[in-house]
Amino acid sequence: MANLLWLQGGACSGNTMSFLNAEEPSACDLVTDFGINVLWHPSLGVELGDNLQRLLNDCVSGNTPLDIFVFEGSVVNAPNGTGEWNRFAGKPMKQWVKALSGVATFVVAIGDCATWGGIPATAPNPSESQGLQFLKRNHGGFLGKEFRSKAGLPVINIPGCPAHPDWITQIVVAVATGRGGEIGLDELQRPKTFFQSFTQTGCTRNMHFAYKVSATEFGQRKGCLYYDLGCRGPMTHSPCNRILWNRQSSKTRSGMPCLGCTEPEFPFFDLAPGTVFKTQTVMGIPKDLPTGVDKKGYIALTGAAKNAAPAWAEQDMFIV
Amino acid sequence: MAVQTLDISPVGRVEGDLDVRVEIDNGVVTNAWTQAELFRGFEIILRDKDPQAGLVVTPRACGICGASHLTCAAWALDTAWQTTVPRNAILARNLGQLVESLQSQPRYFYGLYAIDLTNKKYRGSRFYDEACKRFAPFTGTSYETGVTISGKPVEIYALLGGQWPHSSYMVPGGVMCAPTLADITRSVSLLEYFKKNWLEPIWLGCSLERYEQIKTYADFNAWLEESPAHLNSDLGLYWRMGLDIGLDKYGAGLGKYVSWGYLPHEDKYQKPTIESRNSAVIMKSGIYDGATGMHKLMSQEFARENTSHAWYEEGSDNVHPFDRTTKPKSKNHIDFNGAYSWATAVSHMDIGRLEAGPFARQMVAGGTHGEAWQHADGFILDAYKQMGGASLHLRQLARMHETVKLYRQAERCLREFRLNEPWYIKPQERDGRGWGATEAARGALCHWIEVKGGKIKNYQIVAPTTWNVGPRDHQGRRGPIEEALIGAPIADPTDPVEVGHVARSFDSCLVCTVHAHDAKTGKELARFKIG
Repeated sequence: MANLLWLQGGACSGNTMSFLNAEEPSACDLVTDFGINVLWHPSLGVELGDNLQRLLNDCVSGNTPLDIFVFEGSVVNAPNGTGEWNRFAGKPMKQWVKALSGVATFVVAIGDCATWGGIPATAPNPSESQGLQFLKRNHGGFLGKEFRSKAGLPVINIPGCPAHPDWITQIVVAVATGRGGEIGLDELQRPKTFFQSFTQTGCTRNMHFAYKVSATEFGQRKGCLYYDLGCRGPMTHSPCNRILWNRQSSKTRSGMPCLGCTEPEFPFFDLAPGTVFKTQTVMGIPKDLPTGVDKKGYIALTGAAKNAAPAWAEQDMFIV
Repeated sequence: MAVQTLDISPVGRVEGDLDVRVEIDNGVVTNAWTQAELFRGFEIILRDKDPQAGLVVTPRACGICGASHLTCAAWALDTAWQTTVPRNAILARNLGQLVESLQSQPRYFYGLYAIDLTNKKYRGSRFYDEACKRFAPFTGTSYETGVTISGKPVEIYALLGGQWPHSSYMVPGGVMCAPTLADITRSVSLLEYFKKNWLEPIWLGCSLERYEQIKTYADFNAWLEESPAHLNSDLGLYWRMGLDIGLDKYGAGLGKYVSWGYLPHEDKYQKPTIESRNSAVIMKSGIYDGATGMHKLMSQEFARENTSHAWYEEGSDNVHPFDRTTKPKSKNHIDFNGAYSWATAVSHMDIGRLEAGPFARQMVAGGTHGEAWQHADGFILDAYKQMGGASLHLRQLARMHETVKLYRQAERCLREFRLNEPWYIKPQERDGRGWGATEAARGALCHWIEVKGGKIKNYQIVAPTTWNVGPRDHQGRRGPIEEALIGAPIADPTDPVEVGHVARSFDSCLVCTVHAHDAKTGKELARFKIG
């Protein structure tokens, strides 16, 4: 039996909605099959008012062991570091986050807001939002760089806007079944099992990338979205094309450029004019090249690819 | 009877952070204040950004209504940029929004609302044991089925936009996707699965066709009695138990309703403008005033926001959203005579405060205004009249009644797609003002955008919860939920489930806190400890 508590700060509930789409195991299965005791959740919890405050305080005091503390949403510090712009259960949410993180065996940040600050932390960051341990790519998060939960781990970051339900449930099940120590984390504290490969891995438009055939406009069944439409699939760590969304598809498969939402820089370029759904180029070469590829190599590769491109690559491959 | 003081923080199962203060006299709520307790400043973030930034940012304003925000963001840019939108794209946008709403129906009903029927207050009801068996959190038979199946409709969204929540597949000029035949047939199958595994056998206890014969409250009652399958369906059980425990006796609210209308018709809105929208939508726009029984059309030009009692430094005048400046106050102290919420008081410039939501949509659907070809349905309006007005129970019936209609519209979108025709027509970017509106599952939603010099000069959002949860306005008039709380009987002050019923019946995107104060002196009495 593992006690799990889930709270939301500067959140949109998108990660909760994503979590509820899980099927193997489903949110209900976590309770009925894996013995996870959901102490409380903002959308699902039964306790209210003083009963909830007592429950939270029992966790803080150690009367109720808190095995997994899940946080969704940014830590709101406005105004002026007080956190009063996000009050919950009688006080600023950030005070609950500090206290509960201090007693939890594992602390899990779900989604971009909790990991890196996310959309609320986009310039000018009016709510003074931070992630739990990071602000964007830097260790500028609310709990501080040195924070370790009782299991000796830093915050487990499960980014994405939102996080995929499987990324959430698999990590929760791993922790609940005693495999928490086996979760290998990358330098951004993301579980390696999900975030070592790229969004592009498994993309059905990979052949178009290989032959440098571009989707030049939306609504096309052919072409790679990287060259013109701002797709960040070759530079973004996520399994979106290996573990499909809603069991069916991924953004790039359906024709939407990857926005790089598992990386701390999302939304990229702070959404400056001219940057949304448009590849940033210099002399026709993308500013952001696929991870590990240099400019010279890219030019050589694309020259060869264009020469080698077969006729079918220009056609509507996924024909109606 | 002594005045009782409660302080419940939070109530929960209302998405987001909401506090409610109520005054209780003789066990009945006599006054109420609703407080939105989270500010992230999305409208501030959008200033000076790429004109298309709203397509990325606004679905993230609400992970529950993301498709509705995306719809508004796309139509707002369409009107500003004067695009042409191909019919396939209109259908694909509508379908995305429809499946998001279909997802929301069982998830909301079982996950957020029906749990309260298992509250110990209702132990005396003859329906109580059955309600516990079906609606208990996580383990209830219908709870588990309902929550799990709610993930199915949005699989269609993923086929269109790659994922739900938070896709940006709707763009000015159309959509990013170009579904294949396999995507369409798979979507048809997913809808069918939803119908065959929940909507017909569990929710209705009958075929959609039989349910669709219900046109009046009398028809509904006759349907209930027609067969044990109807009586014992989740709808039948909910309706009978609600009457048994008195959910039809309170939660009425303002008695005035608004809908922006939604689902632009694929052949009537390919050259979208702000002015031509009302005549182009399938589900019509409008206002219903219960006091006069009058229906009329709604238009964005009538919308006003007031920040007299909200934490903004924008004066006390009623302003059109295009004229808002979104200046948050730094210190958000709670002052019930002054500012006490991040929500604004939204109103119609002539008709005043209005309730938004699925109930409002059905009240509007009962009118004869609008175009002859537009959707009309008088069932809920008839029930409203037969039952002597609104209640939180009728609000639920309206929400779930809509499910069958949404299902039919989703089927229609899938039938109407023409796979060899375009999904996108590249628009010319330009400066201008735009407006996009729709109906999210939980009510009227719209975005106003002003693009100047190739970037966003002003972006304003009025969400359903802004209408419903808004604080008092400059004249001291209460907002819809504040008004709906008046008269709620509080049977057990240690567990004021009735306040939860009322708040959750609006399906607001907020979390509640309830404070109760002495109705006569306004002074907070001894804080009540539960348990």
